[in-house]
Amino acid sequence: MLPDATVVRSILSAAGVHDAPAEETSLGLVCRVPGSGAPGVLAALRESELDFRILVDMLGTDTGEGIEITYHLRSLSRDEELYAKTALPYDGDLHSVWNTFPSALLQERETAELFGLKLVGHPNPKRLFTTEGLEPLLRKSVPQRSVEEVRQR
Amino acid sequence: MTDPRDLVTDVGLLAEGAHDPGSPPAGIRRAPTGVDGLTTEHLVINMGPQHPSTHGVLRLIVEVDGEEIVAAETSLGYLHRGIEKLAETRRYNQLGTLMDRGDYVSGMHGEQAAALAVERLLEVEVPPKARWTRSLVAELTRIASHLIWYGTFGLDTGAMGQFLYAMRDRESILDILEAISGARMMFNYIRPGGVVADLPAGIDGRIRRFCNGFDAYLDEHHALLGGNEIFQARVQGVGEIDADTALAFGLTGANLRASGFGWDVRRERPYDAYPQLDFDVPVGTTGDAWDRYMVRMEEMRQANRMVRQCVDGMPEGDFTAKVPKVIRPPEGEVYASVESSRGETGVHVVSDGSDTPYRYHYRAPSLFACQVLEEILPGHLIADAVMLIGSLDIMLGETDR
Repeated sequence: MLPDATVVRSILSAAGVHDAPAEETSLGLVCRVPGSGAPGVLAALRESELDFRILVDMLGTDTGEGIEITYHLRSLSRDEELYAKTALPYDGDLHSVWNTFPSALLQERETAELFGLKLVGHPNPKRLFTTEGLEPLLRKSVPQRSVEEVRQR
Repeated sequence: MTDPRDLVTDVGLLAEGAHDPGSPPAGIRRAPTGVDGLTTEHLVINMGPQHPSTHGVLRLIVEVDGEEIVAAETSLGYLHRGIEKLAETRRYNQLGTLMDRGDYVSGMHGEQAAALAVERLLEVEVPPKARWTRSLVAELTRIASHLIWYGTFGLDTGAMGQFLYAMRDRESILDILEAISGARMMFNYIRPGGVVADLPAGIDGRIRRFCNGFDAYLDEHHALLGGNEIFQARVQGVGEIDADTALAFGLTGANLRASGFGWDVRRERPYDAYPQLDFDVPVGTTGDAWDRYMVRMEEMRQANRMVRQCVDGMPEGDFTAKVPKVIRPPEGEVYASVESSRGETGVHVVSDGSDTPYRYHYRAPSLFACQVLEEILPGHLIADAVMLIGSLDIMLGETDR
């Protein structure tokens, strides 16, 4: 289930990400990559001997200091899973990985829209769910109820 | 004159060398040259969201050249309720109600994914009876969900009769699920630690009666729709998805297995009672609409097999583990997935130690099926678009969340 952390580290350093921590957490093996480098690193992980061919899932999290993007990779030939995390500033650029993993196409649109990020390198950088002008709903600074609704209670 | 096109391409009246009609007089935009029967311009057609064949509120924008689709785009969000945001103010044992409204045709699977994720955070041991009960209701739900797909897929291809027979069988399952959980579709039955209530007395006899009848009914279903020559002509060889495309676009479930790749969460990442259950994973070859039909029909048979095993092997004991009323899991992050009727339904929870999730992400398999739809539609006839949406079994409640 868990890939070898030293192999992951060597692949990351070959892809130009040095001193990248790859550590075991409650989630599994998690490695951290810089935001703009995510497409290159994910492509390197896909082509490596670990064979991470599948992007299972992708999500953003508002950490309070910025948006953390989690990519969930899966290798079918070795039956291993790896999580790659990148930290982005609020209103930062989300670099698309669709060239490597087409399954990210709609997920990236959703993440960029609901966390207020700018999509870079996406073939169809439109909003996915909500209308133009709405606040990025999944940010912690956006309340679940509107001010008007709270006042009526 | 037998071909009606001769009417519009007839140039018999034209005098030699008089092919240029000249420019139109002022006030008239173009010369009335009649109907051009040969060339067509591309047309952008909007399908949905209020369209009976889109199985909910899918809006599809297709660009057609005559009858042939040249480009397609799915437009989502007509059912967006912000489940992920709402979950951030719900306690952990209330997450099931949100998951029911995600994939509303197979609610048990969503609840199961949410419960598994919370249990993984809590590191709680689920008693055997709870695990077997969960697998029992999950497989019953799978049959109910596939029956809806079977009925409406037939409608998409122009058949009518199978829908009523599918609904008849689905009603029997919903009656059983209602007796177990108290609700027909929005169950909220599977909770972190186990299930909310024990199985009612005498339910095993009812389920056995259904299982025994359903084996024969399933053969009838297959003969009624799959044996129909018109249906076969509509689906065989149409909408082929090869395994590489399916994996690249993140397809899971029956759609992936129809392409010849036998990945099943129940087998590869066993949860609940599946390690003890005996079942086969049907796999297709070419990944066309017919293979997706065959895989789902066989999945119903396997699900029926598993339901029977669950009833026969149901262990004694508690139906839930000791879990506090207000669950406060330790800080951490987990991912748990189940094989739902549509593929790998996953739940990614980030906990900050409070009684509500800090971040709750719902991996919806239908979202990935929408992506592959944009990929495979070009090149097909517009009449097949409706059939292909149906063959992928897209559930809009979970794509939009």
